Amino acid sequence: MNGGGMSWIPALSGVLPWVVLACVPVGIVLLYFLKLRREPVEVPSTYLWSRTIEDLHVNSLLQRLRNSLLLLLQLLAVLLAALALFRPGMRGEENSLGRMVFLLDTSASMQAPAEDADGAGESGRSRFEEARRQIGDRIDTMTDSESAMLVTFSDRAEVMHAFTSDRNRLRDALDRCEVTNRPTDILGALRAADGLANPRRTSEIGDVNDVQVADAMPAELMLYSDGNFGDVTQFSLGNLQPTYVAIGSDAVRNLAIVSFSAQRDLQNPDQIQVFATVLNTGTSDESTEASLYIDQNLVDAASVDLEPEAQTGLSFTIESSDAVALRLQLDSEDDLKIDNEAFAALTPAGLVSVLVVTPGNRALELGLTTPKCQQIAACEFVTPDYMETEAYEKRVASGRDDLIVYDRCRPKDSPPTNTFTMGELPSDDWKWKTESGALTLIDIDRTHPVLRYLELYSLLVFSGRAVEGPSGSLTLVESDVGPVMAIASRDGYQDLVLGFPLVSEDESGDMQANTNWYAERSWPVFLFNVLRNLAGAAQSSGAPSYQPGQTVMARLENVLESVEVVRTVEQGRKESLGEQPVGAGGVVEIVSTSLPGNYQLIAAETDQVVDRFAVNLFDARESRLASQPTVELGYESVEATDAGIEVRREFWRPLLIAVLVLMALEWWFYTRRLA
Amino acid sequence: MSNAPASSTTDPTPAVSTPTDAKRQASGPLLTPGLLGRLERLELVSRKIFRGRMKGERLSRRKGQSVEFADFRNYVPGDDLRLIDWNLYARLDQLFLKLFQEEEDLHFHALIDTSASMNFGTPNKLRVAKQLAAALGYVGLCHGDRVCVRAMGAEGQHAPVLRSRGSFWKMLNYLDGLSGGENVSLHDGVKDFVMRGGGSGVVVLITDMMDKAGYESALRMLIGRQMDVFVLQVLSQEEIDPPLRGDRRLIDVEDGDAAEITVNQFVLDKYQANLKAFLNQIRQYCAKRSIVHVMVPTDTPIETVITKYLRTRGVVR
Repeated sequence: MNGGGMSWIPALSGVLPWVVLACVPVGIVLLYFLKLRREPVEVPSTYLWSRTIEDLHVNSLLQRLRNSLLLLLQLLAVLLAALALFRPGMRGEENSLGRMVFLLDTSASMQAPAEDADGAGESGRSRFEEARRQIGDRIDTMTDSESAMLVTFSDRAEVMHAFTSDRNRLRDALDRCEVTNRPTDILGALRAADGLANPRRTSEIGDVNDVQVADAMPAELMLYSDGNFGDVTQFSLGNLQPTYVAIGSDAVRNLAIVSFSAQRDLQNPDQIQVFATVLNTGTSDESTEASLYIDQNLVDAASVDLEPEAQTGLSFTIESSDAVALRLQLDSEDDLKIDNEAFAALTPAGLVSVLVVTPGNRALELGLTTPKCQQIAACEFVTPDYMETEAYEKRVASGRDDLIVYDRCRPKDSPPTNTFTMGELPSDDWKWKTESGALTLIDIDRTHPVLRYLELYSLLVFSGRAVEGPSGSLTLVESDVGPVMAIASRDGYQDLVLGFPLVSEDESGDMQANTNWYAERSWPVFLFNVLRNLAGAAQSSGAPSYQPGQTVMARLENVLESVEVVRTVEQGRKESLGEQPVGAGGVVEIVSTSLPGNYQLIAAETDQVVDRFAVNLFDARESRLASQPTVELGYESVEATDAGIEVRREFWRPLLIAVLVLMALEWWFYTRRLA
Repeated sequence: MSNAPASSTTDPTPAVSTPTDAKRQASGPLLTPGLLGRLERLELVSRKIFRGRMKGERLSRRKGQSVEFADFRNYVPGDDLRLIDWNLYARLDQLFLKLFQEEEDLHFHALIDTSASMNFGTPNKLRVAKQLAAALGYVGLCHGDRVCVRAMGAEGQHAPVLRSRGSFWKMLNYLDGLSGGENVSLHDGVKDFVMRGGGSGVVVLITDMMDKAGYESALRMLIGRQMDVFVLQVLSQEEIDPPLRGDRRLIDVEDGDAAEITVNQFVLDKYQANLKAFLNQIRQYCAKRSIVHVMVPTDTPIETVITKYLRTRGVVR
């Protein structure tokens, strides 16, 4: 228990200013004696005076200081001013555990104004600034015996300063805190705060031989937040005494875009379909316009009219064959701006590169060169002899091909890319289960993207064998003798194996059809699916969206050495975030995603956009701004404290007034003495 | 016969001298007729009997002619026959001389310190010193004493030696002519006076005693000449209670010595204590050597000083 004690907060930091301050009184005394203005006066003889001075010399300094009222007044004034600089203060009655943990919410919702929409103009402070101010006030009231810790949290927790009783350091740490665009997850912060208060046991609590590794140090948990986070369940407060300081008001107005995506129309690749969801998270009816921009050009708009807690879906269809960056903007001025804008991008619809190794297969050639396939893939046909050449090895090693199709042949080593093998096994991991023979298809897995839209039951297969893939393989087509089509993962790549060839050669070497699949409508569709999904052409529709602050992993072509990350900012200006080297396997990790927007990865060599992604908040909970009256922390409901947080009573104002009074007094003495 | 009183009576200024009247006093005559009248009734006191030069009103060590019997002594050949007491011869048939006390004049010296420190204060210390000298000199002249009022230093070399009341004007002239400002230390001034054969008699030293070299040697020299020494120490009000406050640079008017000092009550108290100790020291020194020391504050009217202070201290009666 700490009574209200006097505490000091030096207003100057660093040693130098204090040294200068300490020099001021010394300077005054020096100036006083080295006084420039001594009035000369004639006396008949300095005989007696010099005897007086001699007497004074014995204890001259002290004697001079005595009764020298002006000097004393000056020194007193400076002393009071210095005292004021120390900001002495007292706090009212309070009891403290001696240690505090400040949890400061830095999530996106803290960007909202601290007051009601009506009163927002009064101080203009954001919730974050208000919380920071309140923590600063609380730090000011700390006594020397108290220590505190400062933790900020958004979707991750950061310990800004460990336990210390140094108020200056805490204040510095507080100044370093910044509000983020991220969603909220308080658990990490609670775990960080938990450490000293609830030391872990080495084993079970019931074990009598077990001693606690450290003494529990109870602490106050001061949570400064608007309470917009999920209930925390996997946590026990233990020795932490929670105090929840609700920041912000419960009457808010906010419209939020909680989802926004763009997709190329599968039937018509020139068309892009855009979907968005707008949610009214405020407490009043809202109506506004939602405008859709492509590369800063307004292309469409829709009106939004929502009651509180209502949501609506918006959909737009736009014509654009290029890869585009889209932006949806709500024109309303509400409390949180970050969720009024949403971004989406379409990755470049670049051609995928496919190598087809075949001794000759007309049906395959035709199926892979349909106009539709040609839009998404460039296929190169080679004979199996090519696999013996050095050119093949180089080509495989460079990772240029997104897919290699092996028709009735198998590579010596599995290539570092996706493969599709027909009538043969791609590697030793695969085995034939049966001998060749006629088979009937009995089941196909239509949920798999490769077999989507397919109807295969009418197929005739003259000769085929059941295949058995490595463990983890997925059977796609089941026949009466076993699986004839399966897909399996291999080091991050995928091998698709078809147990029967499309054509076969008879003894004379003539080409014979092994199945009637080539005549079916499903054949080109199947090949198209293979190109889209196995060769990666399907990804060219919608670019992924991430939340601010997330690390984005992008997979690029192996050949690129480095890419430049560019974020599109307002008015189409682009802001470069620096070059990033491409790691092994073409993986790039982008961490500077704190701001929402459309991001592009530009190949350093060719200046071509190789990948896009968008960063959006898309968090309905974060967009719900109304400050919560209670929060759930580890099954404990903590109510927002309404008892005012202690505030220091500071004395520097009276001190400065005393300085003024002293100066007036000094002036009076001075004029009186001159008179 | 007396010029000075005549000139004083022609002066229209009132005869009353008050300390508040300092300015007028500074420009007026040294002595007012009223004061002169009172001075005539006084006479100088000598605690010792000196030999004079001429016949006067004072008893002398010399035996001579007066009405006051002194002694008898045997006749030796060569004595003046007129002094033989014939009555005794008739009775005792022996020759005796009847001796009488001789009455001679008194040598009175007034030695004025005219150093720059004396030319200070309101009323001016030097003027007060002149007034004192003039008053005492006048007393001496009235009783036929040999009066010599002189300044120390060069100005004292042509000081007139005066007798009789009629030469009072000469003394005033001389005093008026003293400008002061010559810095002669007490020691040098007194030494000069003694060396010039000031002779014996009464000497009144009118000074402020503010000499950094000390006053002791000067007084010793006077004592050594067997003179009856009186010290009138003239101090101005500015010295007794300095009106100084604050941070000052004190400049000695005599030697230009500067002393930087912050004058506050403490320092003033200290100064007062010093002054008191200084005066006590002088008093003790004088008392031990039977020197009469009188402290004369300048704001005291000269009449009060002469008729009260000097009278009580036995300088005049």
